[in-house]
Amino acid sequence: MNPSESLFLQALPAFLLGARDTIIYCVSSFALALLFGLILALMNSSRFVWLKAPARIFIEVIRSTPILAQMFLLYYGVGAVLANVNLAYLDNAWVAGIATLSLNYAAYEAEVYRAGFLSVDRGQTEAALSLGLTSEQNFFRIVLPQAIPLMIPPFVNDFIYMLKDSAIVSVISGTELTSVLDYWSSRHGSNLFPLYLLAVGLYLIMSLPTSYVARFFERRLRAAL
Amino acid sequence: MQQALPSTEPKRRSWLVILDYLFYVALAAALAGFLYYIYTFRQEALLITPYLLAGAAATIAISAVSMVLATIFGFIGALGRLSRFTVLRAIAAIYVEVIRGTPILVQLFVWYFGLSLLLARLGFSPYAVAFQFMTVLQNNSLVPDTFNGIFYGIIGLSFNYGAYLTEVFRTGIESVDKGQSEAALSLGLTSSQALRRIILPQAIRITIPPFTNYFITLVQDSSLLATLSVLELEQQTYALAFPLINSNIKLFVFIFGALFYLAICYPLALLARYLEARMAVAY
Repeated sequence: MNPSESLFLQALPAFLLGARDTIIYCVSSFALALLFGLILALMNSSRFVWLKAPARIFIEVIRSTPILAQMFLLYYGVGAVLANVNLAYLDNAWVAGIATLSLNYAAYEAEVYRAGFLSVDRGQTEAALSLGLTSEQNFFRIVLPQAIPLMIPPFVNDFIYMLKDSAIVSVISGTELTSVLDYWSSRHGSNLFPLYLLAVGLYLIMSLPTSYVARFFERRLRAAL
Repeated sequence: MQQALPSTEPKRRSWLVILDYLFYVALAAALAGFLYYIYTFRQEALLITPYLLAGAAATIAISAVSMVLATIFGFIGALGRLSRFTVLRAIAAIYVEVIRGTPILVQLFVWYFGLSLLLARLGFSPYAVAFQFMTVLQNNSLVPDTFNGIFYGIIGLSFNYGAYLTEVFRTGIESVDKGQSEAALSLGLTSSQALRRIILPQAIRITIPPFTNYFITLVQDSSLLATLSVLELEQQTYALAFPLINSNIKLFVFIFGALFYLAICYPLALLARYLEARMAVAY
C-alpha cells in the first residue's frame, strides 16, 4: 500500500465523524432558521410598523454583513461578555456556531417565506375572507398549504448553502468536517492530496444528492402547476 | 402606469395601531441608545478607525480584483457549457458542480496550502515574483508579507465565483431568443460576430442584477481571507479585538467592524434592488 492510500484509509473514520458533525450543525441550525424565518416573515408582512420595522432592520443588517463577522461577534464578543456574567457554559463553538448559522439563515428564509406567501393569488385570500374565515384561518388553511410546495426548492437550496457555510465553524474551533481537514493537514503537510480529496468528496456526497432532490421537486412542481 | 387602487382589505382600526406611534418613539430611543453606546467607546473607536479603514480599503480592492477575474472565469465557463464539443461541456460542468458543491473555505485551503505548495516545489512563489518585480521598480517594501495569501485568496475567490457566474452568464445567453442568432447568421454575420454584436448586448441586461448580488456576497466572502492571514477588514477587526481583556470593549470592536461591512454592503444592496426594478421594466 502506498503512503497516500494508507493515509486515506487512516483518515477516513475521522473525516466521517467530521461529516456527521457538519450534518448535526446544519440540521439543528436549519430547523431553528425555519422557525425564526417564519416569525420574521410574519412580522414583516404585518400591518403594524412596530412589528414590521424590527424584522426589516434585522433582515437588512444580517444580509449586509459577512457570516464570519457575525460568528466572531457572537463567539468572541458576546462570548466574552457571557463569560463575565457567569454564563461561561454558553461560550462554546456549538452554541455560537448554531446561533450564527440559524440567525443568519433566518434572514434569508424570511425572504423565501415572503416570496411564497406573495405567490399565492390574492383572490384566494379575498374569497376566504368573504366566505367568513378569520384572517388566522385564512393564513393557516388557505395560504400556507398552497405556499409550502413553492417554498420547498428554495429551502433545499438554502440547506445546501448552509452545508457549505457551516465550514466557517472551524474558524472558531468548532469540530466539523473542515476542522478535521485542518487538523489532519497540519500534521501531514507533505501528503495533502488524499486529505483534500476526502474532504471535497464528502462535501460533494452531501451536497450533490441534495441538489438533485431540489431539482426533482422543482420539476414535479412545474408539472403540477 | 397602473393607478394605485384602494386596498380591498377591510379597514380595521385596532388599538395595536397606537403601538405604531409608540414604536417610532422607541426606534428613535434605540437609535439614540446605539449612538450613545458608540459614543461611550469613542476613544477606542478613534483609535481603531484608521486600521479598520485600511482593512476596508483592502477588502474593497481584493473584492474588485476578484470580481474582474471571476467575470473572466465565468465567461470562459459559460462559453464552455454552451460549446458544441462534449469534452469542453463536460469540463465546464465538472467545474461548476465541484465548485458549487464544496465550501469556499475548503477551496481557499486547497489553493493556499495545497496548490501553493505544489507550485512552490516547481519553483513558483508569487511573493518572490512580486518582490523581484517591485525590486526592479525600487519599491519592494510595498509588497506585503502576506502577498501569498492575497494572491491565492484572490485566485480562490474568483475561481469560486466564476462557477456561479458561469451559470448566470449561461442563463443570460440562453434567455436571448434563438431567432436572434438565426437572423444574425442568415444575414451573413460570423458566429463570433453574432455572439459579440447581437447576443451579448441583450444577455448582459439580464445578467446585471444577479451579477450585482454576487458582488455583494463576494465582498462578504472576502472576509474568509482572514483565515489566510490577509489583513483585510475582518482580520483587522479580529486582530484589534482579540488581545483585549475588557470584554465590553471587545464586543464593541466586533460590532464596530461589522458596521464597516454594513457601510460597504448596504449601499450595494440598494443599488442591486434599484437595478432589478429597472430591469424588470420592458425595453
